[in-house]
Amino acid sequence: MRARARALALSFSAALAACSQHVGPPAPAADAAPSIGVGDAAAPVQIIARTLDDYPRSLDPQLTTDIPSQRVLDDLFEGLVALSIDGRPVAGAAASWQQSTDSRTWVFHLRENARWSNGAPLTAEDFVYSWRREVDPKTASGYAQALAPIVNGLDIALGRKPPETLGVEATDAHTLTVHLVAPTPYLLDLLDQVYLYPVYRPAIERYGDDWVRPEHIVSNGAFALQEEVIGNRITLRANERYWDASHVQLRTVVYYSIPDRAQAVLRYLAGDVQFTDSFAASQRPWLKSTLGDQVVNSPWLGIYMLAFNVRLPPFRDRPSLRQALILAIDRVALTRYLKFDMYQPADTLMPPLAGYEPQHPAWAALSEADRNALARRLYAEAGYSPLHPLRVDISTSIQGADERHFFEAVAAMWHSVLGAEVSVDESEFKVLLQNRELKRLPLFLDSWIGDFADPVNFLQLFDSRGSLDYGGFADPRFDALLDRAAQEPDNAARYRLLEQSERVLNQDAVYIPLYYYATRHLVKPYITGWRSNLLDRNLSRYMSILEHQGR
Amino acid sequence: MLRYILRRVLESIPTLLLIVTLAFALLHAAPGGPFATDKAMLPEIQHSIEARYHLDEPLWRQYLRYLGDLARGDLGPSFQYRNTSVNQIIAAGFPVDLTVGLSAIALALLLGIPIGLNAAWRRHTLWDRVPMAFAVAGISLPVFVAAPLLVLVFAVKLHWLPAGDWVHGSPSHLLLPVVALALPYVAYVARIVRGSALEVLNTAFIRTARAKGLPAHRILMHHTLRPTLAPVVSFLGPTTAGIVTISIVVETVFGLPGIGRFFVTGALNRDYTLVLGITILYGTLIILFNLLADLCYAWLDPRVRLE
Repeated sequence: MRARARALALSFSAALAACSQHVGPPAPAADAAPSIGVGDAAAPVQIIARTLDDYPRSLDPQLTTDIPSQRVLDDLFEGLVALSIDGRPVAGAAASWQQSTDSRTWVFHLRENARWSNGAPLTAEDFVYSWRREVDPKTASGYAQALAPIVNGLDIALGRKPPETLGVEATDAHTLTVHLVAPTPYLLDLLDQVYLYPVYRPAIERYGDDWVRPEHIVSNGAFALQEEVIGNRITLRANERYWDASHVQLRTVVYYSIPDRAQAVLRYLAGDVQFTDSFAASQRPWLKSTLGDQVVNSPWLGIYMLAFNVRLPPFRDRPSLRQALILAIDRVALTRYLKFDMYQPADTLMPPLAGYEPQHPAWAALSEADRNALARRLYAEAGYSPLHPLRVDISTSIQGADERHFFEAVAAMWHSVLGAEVSVDESEFKVLLQNRELKRLPLFLDSWIGDFADPVNFLQLFDSRGSLDYGGFADPRFDALLDRAAQEPDNAARYRLLEQSERVLNQDAVYIPLYYYATRHLVKPYITGWRSNLLDRNLSRYMSILEHQGR
Repeated sequence: MLRYILRRVLESIPTLLLIVTLAFALLHAAPGGPFATDKAMLPEIQHSIEARYHLDEPLWRQYLRYLGDLARGDLGPSFQYRNTSVNQIIAAGFPVDLTVGLSAIALALLLGIPIGLNAAWRRHTLWDRVPMAFAVAGISLPVFVAAPLLVLVFAVKLHWLPAGDWVHGSPSHLLLPVVALALPYVAYVARIVRGSALEVLNTAFIRTARAKGLPAHRILMHHTLRPTLAPVVSFLGPTTAGIVTISIVVETVFGLPGIGRFFVTGALNRDYTLVLGITILYGTLIILFNLLADLCYAWLDPRVRLE
């Protein structure tokens, strides 16, 4: 979920980044991690402690857009479709489904034994209520527009139609029919989004905003809410009424909110937590040397990039200047020396995804010398020279010294290859957001973590009719390809159209890919039943603890 | 006395109102709104969220609405934590800050006063020089160094104490944060007490006490201590308000669920109501502890008249 910029996400650790520099354990701390012996049998006590990078904004699926909330809600609730151990959509509250030949109507058959945590049966009507609630302007959901693929979804969110007109109906207690505006082959990927989780109407009507408190909440996932200490931790217990409860091994899951990453690492080393959410790239080398395989980095569906405003000088009508800046960056050096090999260099928008052909631009095959030579030629073509250098700021948010050094390195590369004089302009995250939305920034930090595993989720960033096109990019060819893809029921054919649209973006040189995100967890060797996946969603429902010695 | 307290309380109302007004104006003047996210919404949807929190109204009406709610003790809903009210956040976090903060002050006084008195009594001996050297170190060592060092030694290496977290009523979870928070204040108190005690020990009534042959502990406890404490009280009055709201670094390093962190993230996320609520709490505490300090001062020094 939530996208632009987890790295941007203004957690308090970013604000205190300078402090974090100090609180990191001294390197090397090779003796900090005691050895842990792991057996094959399940441990007698099945309790796991996980960390969150911030305190969840809300446990109301329809009111939240942040990643920490998503982690907890993935355990508390279950949508029609759930996530497998690999992060792929599998049967959840719905046991099966069919789609019409034109892919516009989907019928979901709910499990007869699906229940709420209070024992009440989970019905199709619950989903109808929850989804209407999501798009109802009165709910004021931040993701209301995400239901646009459903008939009338967007009109309701914009206040033009009543919520009752949403294209979703309960045919009977266990059958839900969904009517879509267009064929949506990736519907199943959408259905495991947090905002489509069902919510329990009687609790909401009775308790209002307080329905999410432990004493009132009713949920339908593998775990139920046991305790909440605001600002500190959320404790879940196994939900005995979950339809698949017999396969859930953990009895208790504790989520600790630890906004300071160095503190999360210390808590992990002390044995207080077994599964951390993230650590700083600068800590990676000593963590690797200390903890070895307990340090987990794997591809995460997201890209870190800069974007141009193609309507503002100096980049307006200057594709060759934009291209020169894209070329004159040594991404391998950036990821190796400033990100300590945590991330993979990126040369195109879409991170690797099965079935989708990566759209590497031609320059990606050039040697560094050839790339730089080409960059210099394009820079000169755009009318710049050492006597008349490009002067521009990289607008970014305050994220601490590590990120500042990263962009200073980018600026230094541009200076050394092209002679451009680029400086880094850091502002508060909210200020960056506002300026970006007002399209005031010529060159700005942009990043995106996919909500769901489909290229359209990335390409929509540049749709000139959407709300995310901060760079003012508008190419009719690009928009037309997105429209054609939206009407294409065959997924393979749709991917080909999206690939074409990505090539248009690359030709127009509207963004500067830097690197693809990676997950960054510390996981104790005795935790089993989880796998790295592209969406970085690891449900506690599959996890268990093996017998072990040491912490 | 009661009339004095009542007058001070009444006088604090316009002060608090001024704080609220300034904070309200500054927050609303800061660029970026509470519901601007990294994923820009369509304007209509953004508007419906703002309307739910009355942010679409003119500023003066929002201000009056806020004051009206405030008069009823309602600090409003948090914009950032959408199912949680500011009252709930403060009710959950402030007891943690208060427990850790008051414990730290108690520790600072319990250690600082005897160390300072002892140093003054045995001036220019090792009993004076060694503790005072430590005091200088304690003041100089920033808490963001001391706190993680304590965690590294006592939690990560020795496994004697937890590395963080908060469990109500658990002394082991309280110990490290209290020590980290109290360290510089132990040093401050010890130095203030030493300086003050040196002055008192040079006064005529102490010389008389010595001439009468009173034992050292009697001279120190009965005659020296009370006048010595006056500067400590003037120091602690405003400081206590700062300590009971803990240091944000201590909250962060030990993962304490206090309100300091909410204050910072609230400001960065433009959570107007949350920041205002905590500002009012801080303002009230500063006024309250200053009043308490003045009352203590009058008790310690009979020459001080409150009226």
